[in-house]
Amino acid sequence: MKDIIIQLAAAFAGALGFSLLYHLRFRHVLFASFAGMLTWGVYLAVHSLTDGSFIPCLAGALFAVILSEILAHLRKCPATLFLLPAIIPLVPGGSLYYTMSSAVRGDFATAASFGRETVICAFAIAAGISFATVLRELHTPKKVS
Amino acid sequence: MQLTKEEKQELTNSFLDMGEKLLESGAEISRVEDTISRMAAAYGVIHTDVFAITSIISLSLEFPDEEMVTETRRVYESNSRDFYRLEKLNALSRECCRAPLPVSELREKIRTISESETSLALQFLACILGAGGFAVFFGGSLWDALAAAGFGMGICLMQYFFGKTKISPAGMNLIISFIAGLGVGILCAFVPALHMDKVMIGDIMLLIPGMAMTNSVQNILGGNTISGLVRLTESLIWAAALAGGFMTAIAIVDRLI
Repeated sequence: MKDIIIQLAAAFAGALGFSLLYHLRFRHVLFASFAGMLTWGVYLAVHSLTDGSFIPCLAGALFAVILSEILAHLRKCPATLFLLPAIIPLVPGGSLYYTMSSAVRGDFATAASFGRETVICAFAIAAGISFATVLRELHTPKKVS
Repeated sequence: MQLTKEEKQELTNSFLDMGEKLLESGAEISRVEDTISRMAAAYGVIHTDVFAITSIISLSLEFPDEEMVTETRRVYESNSRDFYRLEKLNALSRECCRAPLPVSELREKIRTISESETSLALQFLACILGAGGFAVFFGGSLWDALAAAGFGMGICLMQYFFGKTKISPAGMNLIISFIAGLGVGILCAFVPALHMDKVMIGDIMLLIPGMAMTNSVQNILGGNTISGLVRLTESLIWAAALAGGFMTAIAIVDRLI
């Protein structure tokens, strides 16, 4: 339990850092950071129910897109502003590092397993964003130009 | 709205400015094309052909008196991010679609928005929070977070100074990851309380092209496959550069210490 709280707080700090890095306006920063924290919450919740990291990452990304669309609607600005900080905790920085460090040490079995993890996570995020975007587009009529 | 020849030219340039600045702030391609088309319609243009990819925008406008203006704009910095500008430009375009501003005023407003700078102090704070936060996130201690934050500031400084040189994004990622990896490795060899993996992961998160990848997916889904593939290729190259830098650093640290 303590680990979960620490992780959520760290996800908040990380998302906050990235919001500032991308020069998000202060009035949106807290919302974006909470979005990052909640996304990780969804990941953890789904992760406790299933094996592997594909489904949790997918669920997290789906949630991040939907939440940022809602926030964008409420705060009247582009959804990208919230999506990028919200997605950040899902980015597989950890497994990318362990892939590299095992490869350098010649332990290619471990490197391959972490490498697979990294690629699966990246694919899951892409798939999550895709599904959520398609869902939104189903609700948007085709524009006439 | 009756426009003189000069005004038509200036309007076309303003739209290209708008598109260029949007791309440079991290907007998706579909947003760039959409914004320009909508604004053109608001200014009474009867037909607009706009095509944008990550590095170029081409724009043809047909005015009511059947005069055509065609311009292209090369965009060099389409991998930067500035959500402040993105939001302001988006608001400006919405304002213009409701009630078109005089052409010179539009140009002036776009210029003012694109001159807004983020302060270096804020970037420092951002790197400290980002690197420190993710060091803890991936299981590091508070000391790991402090070390990662320190190197995060170094990364921020290096990005600032290398950004002023001719270096390419991939080259920048390579050299920064190498220096940061070497620094973390040496520090951790002398301070055994630190976990080298956690500190490095915190700093990797600052350099990992996760955003470019997200942008690439957004572009492909927006129907802009070319830009999406360009972004995807770029982000894979940057990830490879990052891996190259850190792996070389880890290899050197392993052999030396």
